[in-house]
Amino acid sequence: MKLILTLAWRNIWRQPGRSLVLIGAIVSGVWAGVVVSGWANGLIEQRLVNLIQTEITHAQIHHPQFRQERESSMYISAPERIYQMLDSDPRVKSWAPRTLSDGMFQSPVAASGVRIRGVDVELEPKVTIFHEMITQGAYLDETMRNPVLVGEALAEKHNLEPGYRVVLSFQDVNNELVSASFTIAGLYKTHSTVYDERTVYVRMQDLSELINGSLAVHEIAILLEEESYSGNLIADLREQFPDVHSESWYELSPELRYLVDFGGMMTGMIMLIIMFALAFGILNTMLMALFERMRELGMLMAIGMNRQRVFAMILLESVLLTLSGGLAGLLAAAGTIRILMNRGIDLSVFGDGLAEWGFESVIYPVMTGADYGEVFVIVILAAILASIYPALKAVRMNPLEVEKE
Amino acid sequence: MNQAIIQTDRLTKIYNPDTVPVHALRDVSLSFEQGEFTSVVGPSGSGKTTLLNMIGGLDKPTSGSVMIDGVSITGMKDRELIDFRLKNIGFVFQHYNLIPVFTARENVSFIMLLQKRDKAEMMERTEKLLQQVGLRERMDARPKQLSGGQQQRVAVARALASRPKFILADEPTANLDSASAMNLLDIMEKMNREENVTFIFSTHDQRVIDRARRVITMVDGAVESDIATDQKSQTA
Ligand SMILES: Nc1ncnc2c1ncn2[C@@H]1O[C@H](COP(=O)(O)OP(=O)(O)OP(=O)(O)O)[C@@H](O)[C@H]1O
Ligand SMILES: [Mg+2]
Repeated sequence: MKLILTLAWRNIWRQPGRSLVLIGAIVSGVWAGVVVSGWANGLIEQRLVNLIQTEITHAQIHHPQFRQERESSMYISAPERIYQMLDSDPRVKSWAPRTLSDGMFQSPVAASGVRIRGVDVELEPKVTIFHEMITQGAYLDETMRNPVLVGEALAEKHNLEPGYRVVLSFQDVNNELVSASFTIAGLYKTHSTVYDERTVYVRMQDLSELINGSLAVHEIAILLEEESYSGNLIADLREQFPDVHSESWYELSPELRYLVDFGGMMTGMIMLIIMFALAFGILNTMLMALFERMRELGMLMAIGMNRQRVFAMILLESVLLTLSGGLAGLLAAAGTIRILMNRGIDLSVFGDGLAEWGFESVIYPVMTGADYGEVFVIVILAAILASIYPALKAVRMNPLEVEKE
Repeated sequence: MNQAIIQTDRLTKIYNPDTVPVHALRDVSLSFEQGEFTSVVGPSGSGKTTLLNMIGGLDKPTSGSVMIDGVSITGMKDRELIDFRLKNIGFVFQHYNLIPVFTARENVSFIMLLQKRDKAEMMERTEKLLQQVGLRERMDARPKQLSGGQQQRVAVARALASRPKFILADEPTANLDSASAMNLLDIMEKMNREENVTFIFSTHDQRVIDRARRVITMVDGAVESDIATDQKSQTA
């Protein structure tokens, strides 16, 4: 085996130029693949963390029909019993009730459909970091009458500033239309322009009063000590409170579900595409090398090198070649990722298309050990696949080739 | 001393039997003995290479058979034949003999590594053989750094290294100048004389033919004459 290895390794360097070109292609392919994968992984992870931190939290409880029909009358009855359980559960870090309504946002300029989120001024900051996203004015001020927080994007559309008054209209629990005037307490900006344009924040007491005359809790958002507890906690909640719907973020957000499921395959898919292209390069190089060495291979078989050994030699040549390129590419990529992990990759120069969909423009790439392992396996597989055909071709050759001139 | 190690029985080879048949060998029945130093001669296209290929198990006859040391190789499968060649037959070709990425020493060891010989024996034997072919000083040179004659001497050393029953050499001197050719013949002759190694070689070169102790002349695929020369009677 060592003999075949030596032979294969030296054969690679018979045409150093050609081998180096191929190795260079593999290095850049692997490097680009890993960096792009890391970027995509980072993008997904940041989006995940953002959504959980600013909006969704780990788990939520609703009236069974609320998520489909979103009617004001579908609030959770006697939420206190649930609060009690959440307060005493060690898996729960914090929780916050919310009053929700879909309605119309009117300014002197225009009208927009919005989701109105009534939040508990004290409890909400314990489950989300929304309060950190205020860019102008103040958080929902206790002393103000009917304060509202408006996304920058919406404010811009309506030409509004803090202190301006707007009218919110929505349905109460009896499906009657209610309108009330609110004062803009501040502006906020999340990572998603779309979200900012469509969501306003008010105090839940104010909204509940208008909808119900008393507190109406449509949603209880729960932040866990650890994300991994969510499955267990949801199961317990479902058993204890069968009259309400308890769901984890994975069930709550189809977007997150998709991101997580798809994100898991990201590295593999990017690498598969790149290696598929490289495989043709490897195949081509191996066939060329083989063609030039027909006589020599014939001689080897004539003097008694058996077909398994010839096969192994050709296979090893391509594996070694790919391995050297692949390892160099992996090392270079790991170095690049390390640097970018701290600095981030800033694509904001290409416009804010990403921001519109809630992705940050500065992405901190993420590559796990498993991701690197996956890349490695794909690289080796590509090398083997690309050399099987040349190796078979070599093995089928007639040793008499050596005799012909 | 003399026992038949190779026996061909009405060996016939027809190339392209379905299109333009070429009778490369016609009923060739020959017998070779241990320790021979035999030359196969004849005009171009007379079937010398074909005959050596049949004996060497590199090609299969259309009819007839080849027995080596009492074993018929004619019915062997490809896989068995490769192994048989490795263990029993040494080859020296006209060109493309050596592995270009290996040094002279490695080229000689190579065949013994394929045979899975003991490592210490292998190293010792390699050096001894390279010494015998006069290349001790050039052991670590690659084929490209060696002259044609030196390359052929490495090939002879490799053929000997495998301890074959006999060595087949198809025009080993065809690409060499006459001094190198004579030098190669000297080495082959010495090995034959000192170690009783059997050599069967084809050639066009009269001076090479003169060195053989048995000359088989082929014409049009058939054996025209098979003559034991003076030298044989001298040494026998
Ligand atoms: N693979 C082949 N296919 C068809 N015909 C062949 C093949 N190999 C050899 N022949 C023919 O068989 C005949 C014998 O060829 P061979 O190579 O044995 O001759 P040779 O005596 O070695 O000639 P030379 O001195 O030129 O090497 C020739 O007519 C040749 O054209
Ligand atoms: Mg010939």
